[in-house]
Amino acid sequence: MHGRAGRILAALSLAASLALVTPAAQAQSQDCGGLERAVVFGELDWESAQVATWIARNVLAAGFGCETAAIPGTIVPLYQGAIRGDVDVIMEVWTDNTPTQWTDAFAEGVVEHAGVAFDDAVQGWYVPRYLVEGDPERGIDPAAPDLRSVFDIPRYKELFRDPERPDKGRFYNCVVGWQCELVNGVKLHAYGLDDDLTNFKAGTGVALAAELEGAYRRGDPWLGYYWGPTWVLGQLDLYMLAEPPFTQECWDAFTALVDRPEEAEVACAYPTSTAVVGIGSRFIEDAPGPVRAFLDAYHGNSAMLSRALAYMHVNDATPEEAARNFLATEPEVWRQWVEPQTAARVAAAFGAP
Amino acid sequence: MGGIFTAEFPPNWRVPLRAWTNAFVDRLVDDYSAAFDRVSSALLYVLGLIERGLLALPWWIIALALAALVWHATGRRWLGGVAVLVALVLVGGFGLWPQTVTTLALMVLASTACIVIGVPLGILMSRSSAFKAFLRPALDLMQTMPSFVYLVPVVMFFRLGNVSALFATIVYAIPPVIRLTDLGLRSVDRSMVEAAETAGADEVQVLRYVRLPLALPTIAAGVNQTIMLALSMVVLASMIGARGLGQEVLRGLNRGDVGLSLEAGLAIVLLAVILDRVTAGYGRRLDPDAEERG
Repeated sequence: MHGRAGRILAALSLAASLALVTPAAQAQSQDCGGLERAVVFGELDWESAQVATWIARNVLAAGFGCETAAIPGTIVPLYQGAIRGDVDVIMEVWTDNTPTQWTDAFAEGVVEHAGVAFDDAVQGWYVPRYLVEGDPERGIDPAAPDLRSVFDIPRYKELFRDPERPDKGRFYNCVVGWQCELVNGVKLHAYGLDDDLTNFKAGTGVALAAELEGAYRRGDPWLGYYWGPTWVLGQLDLYMLAEPPFTQECWDAFTALVDRPEEAEVACAYPTSTAVVGIGSRFIEDAPGPVRAFLDAYHGNSAMLSRALAYMHVNDATPEEAARNFLATEPEVWRQWVEPQTAARVAAAFGAP
Repeated sequence: MGGIFTAEFPPNWRVPLRAWTNAFVDRLVDDYSAAFDRVSSALLYVLGLIERGLLALPWWIIALALAALVWHATGRRWLGGVAVLVALVLVGGFGLWPQTVTTLALMVLASTACIVIGVPLGILMSRSSAFKAFLRPALDLMQTMPSFVYLVPVVMFFRLGNVSALFATIVYAIPPVIRLTDLGLRSVDRSMVEAAETAGADEVQVLRYVRLPLALPTIAAGVNQTIMLALSMVVLASMIGARGLGQEVLRGLNRGDVGLSLEAGLAIVLLAVILDRVTAGYGRRLDPDAEERG
């Protein structure tokens, strides 16, 4: 009984892994630099990483004639897979808040960093742009024309009235338990906003996005923390409130106070974050030169990814469709990552100019 | 191949329910938000009263009151009351007292709303088989549809916070009280009803003096089930902005802090045990046969 169940399971998992190895595009104009196996991507479970994975898979297939495969998963198992050599490429490895298994492996040279996934990931306190500048098309007058920085918030706190605490405005903090929740808590105190705003915490990223989208559709005021690259920043026109400029000393000083925010006196803006393309141990050895050159030259940015995510959201599209749309419509970005003749093949495959 | 023997589902049979739903939700948010806002502020006012009232009381008064309630409901057994008191002090020792009170306030309001809406619906359902035929699939849907499906639209209508949490909790928790009210009223002994009718009672009097009193133990079991389901929604409610114990469970999850999740989880279990013992205890007293059965 056990043996039979085991054989069935093995057959099923073999079928599943075969199903994953599919050519991403039909143009087999080259032989992938002689690589005789599929390039295996670790497909992380959030959308910006999935779009980037499909962009790279499509370029490798159409431009280099590579077979590609993807293993979907979460951070820890996929990083482990890259270290062991089961995963060749991970398209979005954050350089801060990275698990130590990756930083240790990188320090020992077991895994490598190739190109840049994005180096301009933004975080900050936002309001909808119509609140500051109005939106004549939707008939919205600017309700807070002089709202420029976090220090202007008290004058406009009525706009953000918290229905559960009507004497205060509501600040939508980030997801409960994330580091940014604590950092924003320190900032609220350091900017002197404790008496004007409630520190409201969303339980999940999806709920926070639904709340912001609902307010945006109604043309209501909204004040809170958001980050990119996300479909929200790609689709909704938000205005980032000014904060004191980021310096490493200021950041280190106030983020040390996350457990006792009442001691914080100064705070400053978030730094921009960087994510890179990670290369797994086996692929360091056997990646063909041109393929590795493309992955080294890959240089995404958060605006391009946010646009792709908004495309997914508006059109109910899959990450693969968003990647195809990107390749078709933004050749000026990706042409810089490949040789002209490779670019010509990719452009032909996806109908780019 | 092709034709009728293809494995592929006919592509032009595609039902665009997804697009319809999304367009419908967008329309609702655009056109009816003002109405949602009014419902929202009324509910928040009541919840605010309960929560502020409970939080203004000294902690030991609430703890003693809950312990006394359990003691009384369980037929004046000391063990239950003392155990509840010790457990409540322990929860305070976890540093979770305000969160426990906040969750308790939300549970009290959600359960009350479920009873106020659910019992009349159950009565209607027992009176009219047509209404029952309509309501039953709706209740099945409410109990089995994964909450995540309706959480996002609920947030878009009611904004993040306690009102959305209350709404989601009621949707999930109300079916048992409706179903068991209906069941209780329908299973009242025919001969009792006939005796009352012979004595000249009209329909309302039969309902009021015969059916409802005899159905009370079953209704109480429904209330008990509803409260338990409401408590099982605490963590989900926190995903859409309800403060309290659920938020601490989530914080623990998002940080990988198992200890924090466990402390908050135990506090939720304690609230569940208290509310269960109280409602089940009083429910048993309503049952005239309970004494004989022991």
